[in-house]
Amino acid sequence: MSRKVIPFVVAFILVCLVMVVSGVFAFSGAVTAEKFGGNVTWSQPYSTAESMKVINLMGDDQDELFIQNTSNVTLFDGGGNVLLSQDYQYPKTTLGDVNGDNKEDIVVFYLSDSGYAVDTIINGETATLAENLSIGLPARVIVVRFASGPQIVLGDSGGGLLSLSLSGEPLWTYTVGSEEIRGMDDALISGQMHLAVASHDGALAVLNQGGESIWNTSQEQLRRMRAFDLNSDGNSEIITGGEYGALFVYNAVDGSQMYTQGMGQAVSEVRVVELNGEPSSREFVVGGKDGGVWAFSFDGATSKEIWSGSLSDKVTEISGIDIDGDGTEEAVIGDESGNVAVFTGSGSRNNLDSHSTGITRIDVGKLNGERHVVIADGATVDVNKVNFSSIPGFQYTPLVVGVIISAVILLIAAILASIPMKPELKVSFQDKSKESLVAERRMLKESIADVERLRKSGEVTGDAYLARLKRLRGDLAENETAFKTAGFPIKVETIQCPNCGGTLELGMDKCEYCGQVLLS
Amino acid sequence: MENFICVGGILLVFVLVIFFYLLNTARKKVAPSNTLGKKDFLPVYISLADKPQSIMLGMDKLKIDVQKTEKSGDKWRWIPMIIFFGGVGLMAVDLLLLLLGYTSFIFIAGGIALWIAAIVMARGLRKSDSQDFAPRYNGTKNILHTLRDDLRPSTTFLGHLDLTGSLLPTKVARTSKDTQDRTTEYFRDEWLALKAKLYDGNILRVSAIQKSKKRKSYTKRSRISGKYKTKPEKFKGTEHDLKVRIVANPDVYTIARTSPTFKHGLNIGKFTVSQLSTEGGIISFVASSPFEEVEHENILQVIQSAYSLLQRKAA
Repeated sequence: MSRKVIPFVVAFILVCLVMVVSGVFAFSGAVTAEKFGGNVTWSQPYSTAESMKVINLMGDDQDELFIQNTSNVTLFDGGGNVLLSQDYQYPKTTLGDVNGDNKEDIVVFYLSDSGYAVDTIINGETATLAENLSIGLPARVIVVRFASGPQIVLGDSGGGLLSLSLSGEPLWTYTVGSEEIRGMDDALISGQMHLAVASHDGALAVLNQGGESIWNTSQEQLRRMRAFDLNSDGNSEIITGGEYGALFVYNAVDGSQMYTQGMGQAVSEVRVVELNGEPSSREFVVGGKDGGVWAFSFDGATSKEIWSGSLSDKVTEISGIDIDGDGTEEAVIGDESGNVAVFTGSGSRNNLDSHSTGITRIDVGKLNGERHVVIADGATVDVNKVNFSSIPGFQYTPLVVGVIISAVILLIAAILASIPMKPELKVSFQDKSKESLVAERRMLKESIADVERLRKSGEVTGDAYLARLKRLRGDLAENETAFKTAGFPIKVETIQCPNCGGTLELGMDKCEYCGQVLLS
Repeated sequence: MENFICVGGILLVFVLVIFFYLLNTARKKVAPSNTLGKKDFLPVYISLADKPQSIMLGMDKLKIDVQKTEKSGDKWRWIPMIIFFGGVGLMAVDLLLLLLGYTSFIFIAGGIALWIAAIVMARGLRKSDSQDFAPRYNGTKNILHTLRDDLRPSTTFLGHLDLTGSLLPTKVARTSKDTQDRTTEYFRDEWLALKAKLYDGNILRVSAIQKSKKRKSYTKRSRISGKYKTKPEKFKGTEHDLKVRIVANPDVYTIARTSPTFKHGLNIGKFTVSQLSTEGGIISFVASSPFEEVEHENILQVIQSAYSLLQRKAA
């Protein structure tokens, strides 16, 4: 192939590669220029929120911000004004329809002066539902809408459960393990509501409306338990995150393990986030104690990791929020250092303003008619207007960059092809006449004799002798070739070593350069 | 922060190395000398077996070809530098986006690709670089030019011009070791060998031999500190021998035993006649020079002086 063509062939191959890679990046949507920002609409002091929700709890047509910490339950209106603030000892809360008006009410499980009690707060009015209950220190509370009717289930720090009717009558008790209840969630089995419950020591059970176990199991100590119907088949999947990094997905029907994965760090939070906008299946995001973040999809049989990322500290909250209004949710994740980051469906990370204390809760909802993201940290609760902006058409920039690189590659190929080849630096000026060839042959033989004489006199030894001899014999072989080419008779006096290719005198038994034995 | 400084420092070093490599390519700055501080010349080897005119034309053509390749590359020497800055420009787009709050690495990746392309091109351009031709190249051409009319018609010059270097491993004639076990290499570089049948029937043989000495690098232990130290190789000197043999045509010349302009021990230019024999109708002598470089005028002057020993017979 011509020396002028080779650079262009190489350039063409490189250009194809560059454009293919550019095309893959451009059309996969992996390259985006997106920016998430937030402005604080209002902020109120509120320390270490344990539970928070934007929801309508006052019976009007406006949502309020419900928030609860270890000693207080508060309700803010859309402008940040306190509608209700009530102190409790060791309160745990849940939201559910207690009075049957199809609106959520607040249920508070706490320690009163007369023992453990349950209050309801309906449209801002507080009433005690039950007191002097025989259960331990509050750990969790949930309103479960069983097929037979709603029940309020209380969980304590010793693994004990107590179910109450909506009028406050004890219905049944149950014990799950011997440590604090770490998760209570409603789980569907064949479309019927059940209760999934787990304690810190790894005990896990699914109970029916009568407090009877459908199945139970145990695993390593766990931090989180959530139940979701990930594939909308009427049967929930129960996801647990272990103290030592084990992530399990159980089938709520029979407790069989559908997926297990070691995360390498304690699982500190698990939440469902609709990352891909496909409503028939839901994705879930797992946060780790060392800042790891993983997104998983679920196909009805098993889970698959979609992407992974990280924050700088323990993940304390994960919330699925559709910030850019494209129908898919972004995972807004907070950590213990106060960082808040938005992870998009493809896993790219965008940071929001960080907080001075650790993030405790994040939620989204309409306040005063506008969509807000509410972020609670160790000291305050901030209501933010989050915005999103992107550069239109940015996903095609890889093609532009690819074209620039390709043009440069072709330019370089053209320049390199235009440079002539370096001339050979071992040249021979040889007259082809017979007399000249004969004279040259004689000169070469004299030179060979000279070299032999120098070796005998000790002036030249070793490699230098062989190198000079090799070159002269090579010239002698070239001289013989010139004789043959010109058609002059010549008595051949050289042979080539079959091993190293060096030229030797005819009749030699051993190559002087490489030691090869010659059979000639 | 420490990680950032560390990684940033390493990246900065890489960028500076690339920048100065491309800058030196653009300014055609190459290492001027070898490890012994001597200038490297173009390594040329020429077999001579042709008429003077053909040899001289061939030598001129070789020089023009080398210069043509070099000049073709010289035109584009600043292009890799421009491509480098083009890469910087592309990366700046990403930095601008970063300042605006967007995270993008596609232009940085493009910039790095352009830098790689610039390095590849700079390598290609550097390959077209050539060292200078050694002064001996032109000197030999001048010798051939001077002797061209003295050559017997229809005959050719024979021999070689070897300018591949005087300190090549293949030119080590012998080695010796001193009492401290240090190795000294003795080089013998016959850079010019020339044989010519002259117009007057004489046969002239000329060999220019450069003899050099180099002590190889060695490691020794310090007597005071006990540390091992490696000493670099050391060039110990060089000298030139000019071996000439003139077979006189007995029909034309007789050889005088002595001549005031050519005798043993006589200084002729940079050379001193160190051996002289006029036995058997052959003038054979060795002229030595302590100089590293001998010019063609000195070689021709010695040959011309040797001719004073020849006395033309009466017709």
